[in-house]
Amino acid sequence: METLSRTGSINRRQLMAGAGAASVATLSGAGRFGAAQAAAPINFVGWTFRPDMVQGYVDFYNKSYGEKVSYSTLPWPQYHQTLEQRAFAGDIVDVMYCFHTFRERWAQTGMIRTLDDLPGVDELKKAMMPANLESLLNREGKLIALPYFVNLYILMHNEPMLQQGGFDKPAASFDELIEQCVKLKKDKIAEYPYLPNWNPTITGTTPQFLTDCFAEGATVFDAKNRLVIDQDPAVAQVLERWKKVYALGLVTPEIFTKPSSTDVHRMMFTGRYAYHSNISNYLQTIASDTKESLLAPKKAKMTPYPGKVGSTYMWTDSYVLNANTTSLESAWKLMQFVGGNLHKNWYVQQQWAIGSGLDNVYPDLYKEPAVVASYANWVDLPTLRAQYDKGKVSGAFKEQWYPEYDARSVTILHDMIRKNLSVAETIKALVALHKSLA
Amino acid sequence: MTTLDPGRPDLTLQPEASASGPVRTRWFAGKNRQAVQSEGWFAAALVSPALLVILLIVFLPLVYSIWLSFAEVDLLRPGGTAITIFGMRLPLYRFTGLANYSKVLSDPLYWQALLRTVYFVALFVIEAVVIGLAMALVLNAHFAGRRLMRAMLLVPWSMSRIAVGILWLGMLDADFGAINGILYRLGLIDHYLSFFSDGFTALNVLIVVYVWNQAPFATILFLAGLQSIPQDLYHAASVDGAGFWRKLWHITLPSLRPMMFLVLVLATVNGFLMLDLIYVMTSGGPGNDTTTVTWLGYRTAFSFFKFGPGTAILFTLTLICVALTVIYHRLVLSKFQSE
Repeated sequence: METLSRTGSINRRQLMAGAGAASVATLSGAGRFGAAQAAAPINFVGWTFRPDMVQGYVDFYNKSYGEKVSYSTLPWPQYHQTLEQRAFAGDIVDVMYCFHTFRERWAQTGMIRTLDDLPGVDELKKAMMPANLESLLNREGKLIALPYFVNLYILMHNEPMLQQGGFDKPAASFDELIEQCVKLKKDKIAEYPYLPNWNPTITGTTPQFLTDCFAEGATVFDAKNRLVIDQDPAVAQVLERWKKVYALGLVTPEIFTKPSSTDVHRMMFTGRYAYHSNISNYLQTIASDTKESLLAPKKAKMTPYPGKVGSTYMWTDSYVLNANTTSLESAWKLMQFVGGNLHKNWYVQQQWAIGSGLDNVYPDLYKEPAVVASYANWVDLPTLRAQYDKGKVSGAFKEQWYPEYDARSVTILHDMIRKNLSVAETIKALVALHKSLA
Repeated sequence: MTTLDPGRPDLTLQPEASASGPVRTRWFAGKNRQAVQSEGWFAAALVSPALLVILLIVFLPLVYSIWLSFAEVDLLRPGGTAITIFGMRLPLYRFTGLANYSKVLSDPLYWQALLRTVYFVALFVIEAVVIGLAMALVLNAHFAGRRLMRAMLLVPWSMSRIAVGILWLGMLDADFGAINGILYRLGLIDHYLSFFSDGFTALNVLIVVYVWNQAPFATILFLAGLQSIPQDLYHAASVDGAGFWRKLWHITLPSLRPMMFLVLVLATVNGFLMLDLIYVMTSGGPGNDTTTVTWLGYRTAFSFFKFGPGTAILFTLTLICVALTVIYHRLVLSKFQSE
């Protein structure tokens, strides 16, 4: 470089030497970058949802506990695939969000570690609802995650629309729900009064199917996670009802291509639907003071889920700990802060419950006055907790075949609803699909 | 003959007369052959870093993905034989020959998706070429605001396809959509239309949106081709009494043949590989009614983590694209080249 600045020219030998040096520097720089990561602060990665809130409590955590947590987000659609590829390439993300269907897979690939040997785990286990704890265990019965939030399916109704239709209370059974919807359609109060969450994603059609089956007390998967829908007539009844409501024109055909459950719940903002089933926290956006929603404040309400037993499907999304973390102590401390009760009074869980209406596995959270006051703004908390008590989990998502079964079963179910596939053929096709994958 | 630098060898092209044939050219070394050879090595050394990068980020992943299409990829068991490149371990998995291809080709879902893809590509290519050419002809004419129109034309093409998908999804929404809102307020419809309720309609909506996004690129290429056609030809044709259609048929289209080849190849390849709009707008639904081969391959590889069959599905598309390029070349360019 000296020669260049002095003379303004450079000879070939010098240029070659420079290029060689630059290449070596680049390659060794890449090596150093890899090595530097081990000494870096704790990496915490989540899918992009309320990053402002997360950054807020991460900053609070860093300040309160003198830690150095670096938080970043990845978009939801490719979240798990990206993290898996990064892990594959040797990148270490110490603490990560993990959707329930990926937990077992990540545990099996050795990407995440079990938590049973870590201090304070037993107290956390005791504090959780047993059903949710069960879903956080791997197939060997070991805890592999701490809870981020619980997804619980509920039924909500549009109170002004029901009143307009002459109904003073929401339906207590599915027959009544259909009757009301037929009348609302006939009276031209609503074109499509019923909005089940039949979107094609993993939080849509299949959880809705499990919910409706559980509500009738039907068994979908047995204790060994085998699909047994052909052995329970209640499942066929549920599917017959699905066909019926669609054939009656009570459900919008747009539902089959809605890109997410979030998009589906926004349809309720318009006030054009009488009944909607979805994950509980969406009622907060619909019924609290959201400017975009015509059903705010509190014009959309929760009603106990109809059906013989009225149970609904629930699952728990989570935080997981990288098996290769080089700072286990700090990473576990962060895990306890976000997914446990390190800061007491369920500091992080409270923020999610108040800010986004996210439910959690710790019943004590619902004794916090701030949480109770917040829920009162958008839902009747006792009704929600009663539904929660009836919530049912399924262990099938722990199976390797589940994501493919889930995605492919959706097309079979949609074809049954939209086309001429009979219920018997549908059940047969679903069972055959399961057998081909399991 | 002048040399640019007295201290450097003369590398200019020198014509070499041949008694038996046409004039040929060759590299003429002003000083000596050794110096030229040395310069050759120097040039090779200069491009080698770039070649190394291309090898690493293009060639290697391509070869690896071809390998995956012949292997039983199980990400849950990545042990076994592997190659390590810059600290990154690439498992080789078990070679299974044509098993992935045979599994894919025996799946009725693949053939349904292929049929849908062919329909999608055929309609997309026709629409992109016709609309692209029509817009190019308009923009090649002289009128006020032509520059503004040309600039505006680039807007749809310059947008990310994810953004295009979200934009159109919003416009076509049956609850909030601007198109429904406008039609309703104009009194043209009495209830909001559902553009994605029927699979065939949804597929056609995808084509329309993709044409909206891609036709401007065809326009730009055609416009470049139109501007290179000598005006004398049109003047001469006018003198002979030719009208617009005759000029189009006998002058414009033949002159645009190389550009037509390029547009056809690019539109076909882009049509076959289109994934983003399906991802954003329909997720392959309703049912499987908008599932194309690309979406099927993507879903198989990245949703079900079946990388073997997933890459096999996608490489069948590569083969189809190569075959179509050869066919286009023969149909569109062969005559042109012989002329």
